[in-house]
Amino acid sequence: MSKSLLVIGAGLAGLFASVLAARRGASVRLIAEGRGGLALSHGCIDLWRDGELRFSLARLDRSHPLRLAGWPALESAFAAFLEIMHEARLPFAGSLDRVWRLPTALGATHITSGAPVSLASGTLDDPEPISIGNLPALRDFSAELVAAGLRSQGVDVRGIVELELPQPRSPRDLYPQEIADLFDDPDYRAQVVSAWKPKLRGVRRLGLPAVLGRDRALEAFASLEQDLGVAPFEIPTLPPSVPGLRIERALRRLAVEAGVDLIEGPSVRGEVDGRSAGKRVSGAVGATAGGPRGYRAHAVLLATGGALHGGWLSFANGEVQEAVFGLPIETSEDREDWAAPTLYQEQPFARLGLRVDARFRPCDRRGRPFFENLFAAGGLVAGSDRTFEGSRQGIDLASAFAAVEAALS
Amino acid sequence: MILPSQTTPKAAASLPFYDSDLCVKCNICTAACPVSGVTALFPGPKAVGPQMGRYWQPAHPAVDPATTWCSGCGVCSRVCPHGVPVAEMNIVSKAELRPGPRLSLRDWGLSRPAEVARWMRPILPLARIALRSAVLRRLADGLFGLAARAPLPDVAERPLSRTRADLVRREPAPRAADPRPRVAFFHGCSTEDYEPWLGQMTVQVLENLGVEVEIPPQVCCGLPLQSNHAFDAARQRARRNLAGLLPWVERGIPIVGTSTSCTLALKHDYRAVLGLAGAEVDSVSEGTYDLFEYLVHVLLPGLPDLRLQAVPLHVLYHAPCQLRSHRIGSPALQILRAIPDLRLEVSQTECCGVAGTYGLKSERYQVAVEVGRELFVQARTAGVDRVVTDSETCRWWIEGHSGIPSIHPVELLAAALGLPDLRRYGMSRP
Repeated sequence: MSKSLLVIGAGLAGLFASVLAARRGASVRLIAEGRGGLALSHGCIDLWRDGELRFSLARLDRSHPLRLAGWPALESAFAAFLEIMHEARLPFAGSLDRVWRLPTALGATHITSGAPVSLASGTLDDPEPISIGNLPALRDFSAELVAAGLRSQGVDVRGIVELELPQPRSPRDLYPQEIADLFDDPDYRAQVVSAWKPKLRGVRRLGLPAVLGRDRALEAFASLEQDLGVAPFEIPTLPPSVPGLRIERALRRLAVEAGVDLIEGPSVRGEVDGRSAGKRVSGAVGATAGGPRGYRAHAVLLATGGALHGGWLSFANGEVQEAVFGLPIETSEDREDWAAPTLYQEQPFARLGLRVDARFRPCDRRGRPFFENLFAAGGLVAGSDRTFEGSRQGIDLASAFAAVEAALS
Repeated sequence: MILPSQTTPKAAASLPFYDSDLCVKCNICTAACPVSGVTALFPGPKAVGPQMGRYWQPAHPAVDPATTWCSGCGVCSRVCPHGVPVAEMNIVSKAELRPGPRLSLRDWGLSRPAEVARWMRPILPLARIALRSAVLRRLADGLFGLAARAPLPDVAERPLSRTRADLVRREPAPRAADPRPRVAFFHGCSTEDYEPWLGQMTVQVLENLGVEVEIPPQVCCGLPLQSNHAFDAARQRARRNLAGLLPWVERGIPIVGTSTSCTLALKHDYRAVLGLAGAEVDSVSEGTYDLFEYLVHVLLPGLPDLRLQAVPLHVLYHAPCQLRSHRIGSPALQILRAIPDLRLEVSQTECCGVAGTYGLKSERYQVAVEVGRELFVQARTAGVDRVVTDSETCRWWIEGHSGIPSIHPVELLAAALGLPDLRRYGMSRP
């Protein structure tokens, strides 16, 4: 009989863990209260803010999730993710040994270790001058802002090109994913090419908001590159962010194809196995539209997110608990200590979460796991400020990989 | 925001007042909304829901007229990471936009499937000719706004409760020490009046698995009324159903249905949209199951070997939006995956478009078809033999637009259990 795994949470860590486990023959059920945060993601894999993780890893605190996962797990996780994305026709440029410096929608520089090819083409290490395309239909993206920001960093931005989208008059602003849908259609792209091409004389590299296709992004990008006669690249937008949605849709599809039972909507409460003297968990109970429904599994993986994502909850009476099993979260008594004096520095609250052992099992201060078969991955794991470190997706992938290894072993 | 002049206030005043403060405007619901994805006429669930909700006061509802484009599929509430009842807010808002105290003739008819069947039955041959006539359908489109190209179901000559009058009870049959599990079958209007053979098949499957089936007193669940802004009439149906089902629920007997929208109304809409409260509505909600949810969670937990026979078909399973709103995943898939030789593909489309009666309306028809297009194309390109989906309105709609026969998953289970066919009961699947 194959092992069963209950994954809770449908962000990058939960979806990636589900696909990995199902492909290894486990019977996987994924429960998530909402859809998960990939719609808010830039769609890249950030590993470390300066890219020097190989050297920094040994200097990290022993409880840091990347240190716990270790370099080999990180390497395997990264390779597995890139392979899955390749299979899903979302090829990435990625390496653990170099970084890509990419433009953001504010004209700042985003340092990342892996990016979809359409984003990676915007690398600021390429000395070729760039132009930025402005799509008036997409009010959430300002080419002027991008250009000003990049110029202030010394990037050679030649100009802004106003590019109207060929489409019927719309009574409202369009969202990025709606424009991306249009770009999936080859006929629409042909209209775009004939409308835009005359305006692109002299342009070599063209930065555009990341709206070039949703389910057929590779096809859309390749055909635009060929037919526009320029080297385009994408810049992630405000949410809903299309590069994140592409990853989400691909992982959900691959999960279901691999046999994952996907349950969306219920909030869940963990269940302890009554026959195990409190040593094991038996699964979780979902609060559905009707009555509670139980889901049993050999192992449970919590991928419910960190401080800002509902993985742990802070109550008015001072209690701070993990959301599904009510496990304790170690915090400072005084909540004044949770935040740093200014915004742009490392934040203590961001480091809060579950302490885990070497097998990514939530454990107490002395390293003793609360349950033999309960695991945690992603932002719920304590010990890192992922925003400050620029380590968010690296932690998601490495911890999910390590936790799946441990849960299925 | 200036209130649109055509609103008739107060319909929602008695309903739970939804707090919009939980919404962080992340737009995850907007990215998932199938309607705003295909028409710019709908600004999306967040824009008309929690965003407008900030201006909403119980005595002064603030409703964006574009909310009428919401199909009520419910995906926004399900994907929300903060538990905002976006769809429920919008369904309640839509009722505020009801043009007047009386429904149009079309909406009146669409919201009363049981009555329509009862009136058509005496003149069935004539009614069938009318429904199949392209000219008359075009006429109805122009006169009443009933979309000419929207597939409509056929009324059955005999309702299920007449064919299986032996199962109809006013109260659970008293019994001494019968260890057999039993269920109360909520057939809903579609299985009662339009597809009684499906109800018969369900009874056969349940009996084959050792379950005793009873048909409790029931009327239309009220969802079509709710979707057509007739909240008071919907509440009336809801109260009758609660009274009819309660004797079973009180004895711990599950209410089981094959129609995912009716069971969703019993579980969720009575409380969260119609605003009914109390112990009765809670216990009926908790005691109601989709057929496959019942099989997977209650009757066959852990899925024992059912010795299913091979069903050599290539099928595309689509979970109806209404089933997804149960927040139980797709329990039918677990059983379908156990059927030998069944080649199974799974749709990722959020909604087939029809959303109950939405797609049947001339003014919504084109948008509804666009919502389902990805699904129709997937079914055709994959070249499947059947589309499998749990809700009847989806089946009729998908079959009509993809040209591929669309069936309920219980039909595959019946085949895999090798059940005798329906002709024994003088019934046949059309």
